[in-house]
Amino acid sequence: MKKILVLLLSLLTAMSLFAGGSAEKAESEQVTIKVANYAVLEQGYIPFWEGVKEGFEAKYPNYKIEWVTAPYGEIVNQVINMAGGGDRVDVIFSESSWVPGFEDAGLAAPVDEVLSADFIKDIYPSVLADFEINGKAYGVPLYVTPFVLYYNKDLFAQAGLDPNTPPTTYDEMLKYAEKLSQLKDKNGNKVYAFGQTTASVAISGTALTAMVFNFGGEVLDANGNLSCDNEGFRQAFETLALLDEMGYNPQNAKLKDLRNLFALGQLAMYYDQSWGFNGVSSINPDAKNFTASAAPLKGGNGSGESLMSAHCFVLVDNGEAHNKAVDAFVQYVISADTLSDYLANVTPAYPATYSMEGMEGVANNPILKGAANSVANVKHQVTVPALNDLNLELTTLAQAVTVSNKSVDQAIAEFKKAAALKLQ
Amino acid sequence: MRKLNSKNRGDRIYSFCLLIPAFLLALFFILIPIVDSVIKSFQDFKVKNIISGKPGVWNNFANYIKLFASNALGNAVVNTFVFVVFVIVFQFVLGMALALVLNSNIKGARFFRSIMMTPWVVPTVISALIWMWLFQPQYGLVKYLVSLVTFGKVTEFAMLNQPDSALTGVGIAALWKQIPLMTLLLLAGLQNVPDDIQEAAMIDGASKTRRFFSITMPYMASVIKIAVSMSIIENFKQFPLFWTMTGGGPDGATTNLAILSYREAFVSMNLGSGAAVTTIWMLLMIITVGIYNKCFRTYDMT
Amino acid sequence: MKGRTLSKVLCYIILAVILLFLLFPIYWMLATSFKTNMEAYMYPPTFFPNETTVDAYISLFTVNNQFFVYYINNFIVSGITAIICTLFAVFTGYALARFHFKWTVIMSGILLSTQMFPIVSRMISLYSLMSKVHLINTMPGLILAISAAQLPFCAMLMSSFFASVPKELEEAAYVDGAGRGTILFKIITPLVKPGMLAVGIYAFLMTWDDYLHAATLIQTDGLRTLSIGIALRYLGELS
Repeated sequence: MKKILVLLLSLLTAMSLFAGGSAEKAESEQVTIKVANYAVLEQGYIPFWEGVKEGFEAKYPNYKIEWVTAPYGEIVNQVINMAGGGDRVDVIFSESSWVPGFEDAGLAAPVDEVLSADFIKDIYPSVLADFEINGKAYGVPLYVTPFVLYYNKDLFAQAGLDPNTPPTTYDEMLKYAEKLSQLKDKNGNKVYAFGQTTASVAISGTALTAMVFNFGGEVLDANGNLSCDNEGFRQAFETLALLDEMGYNPQNAKLKDLRNLFALGQLAMYYDQSWGFNGVSSINPDAKNFTASAAPLKGGNGSGESLMSAHCFVLVDNGEAHNKAVDAFVQYVISADTLSDYLANVTPAYPATYSMEGMEGVANNPILKGAANSVANVKHQVTVPALNDLNLELTTLAQAVTVSNKSVDQAIAEFKKAAALKLQ
Repeated sequence: MRKLNSKNRGDRIYSFCLLIPAFLLALFFILIPIVDSVIKSFQDFKVKNIISGKPGVWNNFANYIKLFASNALGNAVVNTFVFVVFVIVFQFVLGMALALVLNSNIKGARFFRSIMMTPWVVPTVISALIWMWLFQPQYGLVKYLVSLVTFGKVTEFAMLNQPDSALTGVGIAALWKQIPLMTLLLLAGLQNVPDDIQEAAMIDGASKTRRFFSITMPYMASVIKIAVSMSIIENFKQFPLFWTMTGGGPDGATTNLAILSYREAFVSMNLGSGAAVTTIWMLLMIITVGIYNKCFRTYDMT
Repeated sequence: MKGRTLSKVLCYIILAVILLFLLFPIYWMLATSFKTNMEAYMYPPTFFPNETTVDAYISLFTVNNQFFVYYINNFIVSGITAIICTLFAVFTGYALARFHFKWTVIMSGILLSTQMFPIVSRMISLYSLMSKVHLINTMPGLILAISAAQLPFCAMLMSSFFASVPKELEEAAYVDGAGRGTILFKIITPLVKPGMLAVGIYAFLMTWDDYLHAATLIQTDGLRTLSIGIALRYLGELS
């Protein structure tokens, strides 16, 4: 018996020693900032982020970066769980739609408490406004994009349409779509005319919000209350139902699916964030030859406004020493030196600061050129803590009017009920 | 007499010591967290409470009231049960068929038995990816096969995209992954059925079906009971397959209790509400397993 | 005789259909892995790769060699969990099968019920609990958490094996003056080796398959296990 107890005890001690040993590190004057980043491990983005770490640590020998990673869908959760356990990261590489959640959780710090004022002044105020909650900004954008319309010039030519005049309104698009949907690809497959994502992921909800804005509608009013009794909101979902009925829109597709179809020449037009092109060209490297972009479509009484999305940094206040390091890190990343090549070749997107304005690789990017003006035509959406939830409810609404074949009225009524509970 | 007493006392101490490690593990990693989560289900407990370390506040069943007010809970309960029943029925029938075939002396039974286990060692997340790929709505193999079989009548077949068929799609992936284990367990049970009784019945002229139901099944009862209850528990809890394949969509058609609780807790960041879902879920599971055990007990007696 | 052949044929048909269902997806995955990106997305799909390419494997070995780390971690975590579970399951299973005191009954109740608790509901509390004892983001922490989840079933399974060992054997050994440790480890345990193997394999495979524990408790890429690694690389919104 004794032997067993001794064995057990020693096992437990060994484990706790091991654990303690790996958890505690010798503190020196060095500051290690923890950066939560899901992209560090995604193929195609690794070289950039590894370059950032290397370059930053070379420039500031006193600072070190430690990546905290998790799958895209898990990272928010991860960061929050860590904070709950007393382990707060310093920076989170985030989607703009995650910011309200981090603020509500009490994790995000106002950026002006961490970053130097000069740097904040450099960011376009209209862009920064998207991150404001109660008058304070809680995220720093790296680069931004509206939802732009990508289209396939080759397919346009085949359908007898002018590849240089993309549609500007939903009505025009539907006319184009009639012709485009007659096409077959070289294997005899159906060509989808128009793609809008409706799958059950939060980003699809963001895309749907952008579509509501196209029609001049809104999802939330200025006070963050649910507002879906407007014409634009209704029209957007009626259009989705129509697109589905005509078989123009691939059903229940994620952005990733749309990118694949577009890359294969089976989708003529689709909405995506500008950096979605990276996904397209990773499937088909020749895609740059037939891809062009255009401003989002106008619908109803709307002026084709879109929603700005950004990849941003959310900052956490972990004391003076860490804040200084974070300030240096953010300024190192959001600079023409670091981002120019990345924006030109890896993640096509538009810069968010004055000092990067007119950056070579972005201004002359043939893929981005067509939609360049649409950056200015965006609508600000109030941020609410339940934004992610709201986005998921929007995708459910979109699925209800498409794959479930519910009437728009019924679907919107169900949406109102579900969304109201979430927003409470 | 004294010796017996001291042995008894020794037994007590000994058995107690043997149970300590398992008990401690269960206490710290399962029981305490569970009790904690049940308590939270009655509180207003959001993510900010975790981070600021503030305790939750009793909120008069608000989490439960809100849950029952939305359609989501009922829908999730229905989906969970439909999924469990679907998977278990097919799993049992197919698993039993395969086990019977492998148990009869056909050539290569040993070889087939080992290769059929492959899906079981494929991690669930990967099996989800494999099936998503097969069901892919534009270039998936299943779409192609369906259009072949129907002579081109059904050209747009997208299993996971239609609310009517999405749950079946996930169920097929679950079957694929779980049939091997079921078969293996049933096969072990079949080998327990004594040959002489089978032979005696055969000589008495009992038909094959008759022999199966009155000899084979009763002998296998305990194995079947364990195998099926394992499967009930596993599918009741199924999370990764749903999360990977459909995320609960389309239109809520595959939102089961696991997905709902995860969404409430980690997407809505309302841990109290998420805990309320898991509490209801636990109760349902305990009731289901309880009823199942009770049914099986009566079956045992006959 | 005719009925015999017929049922034989039926047997083979059932076997073929079920095996096709179980094995074809695996073949399909392998076939796809040898296709070029463009061919993989072709419709109608090709049953054999037209143009075989090993690019995917080359990039697996060169660009994405992180996978091997995941694999090795998965092996380590699953292996140690299997050992711990088997060892503890022997203690627990033996106690449950042999002794019928109040606490053994309570214990088997606890073990049975723990299986029914969804992992999701445990995760939050587990996280703060484990970070208090500095076990978060460490392999021992992950192993202990998963072991706790697997142990109940393993112990129940093990106890059914112990129950089939005749008690007389033990009593005889006790009369001969053997100590309790000797009885358990030298006499009884060797008799339940198949059971230990079954428990070990079960624990190994269940751990191999774990997703939620690793997703919540591990943050460093170097410590990740396979399922999470896969999710990370293939389910990402970016890639």
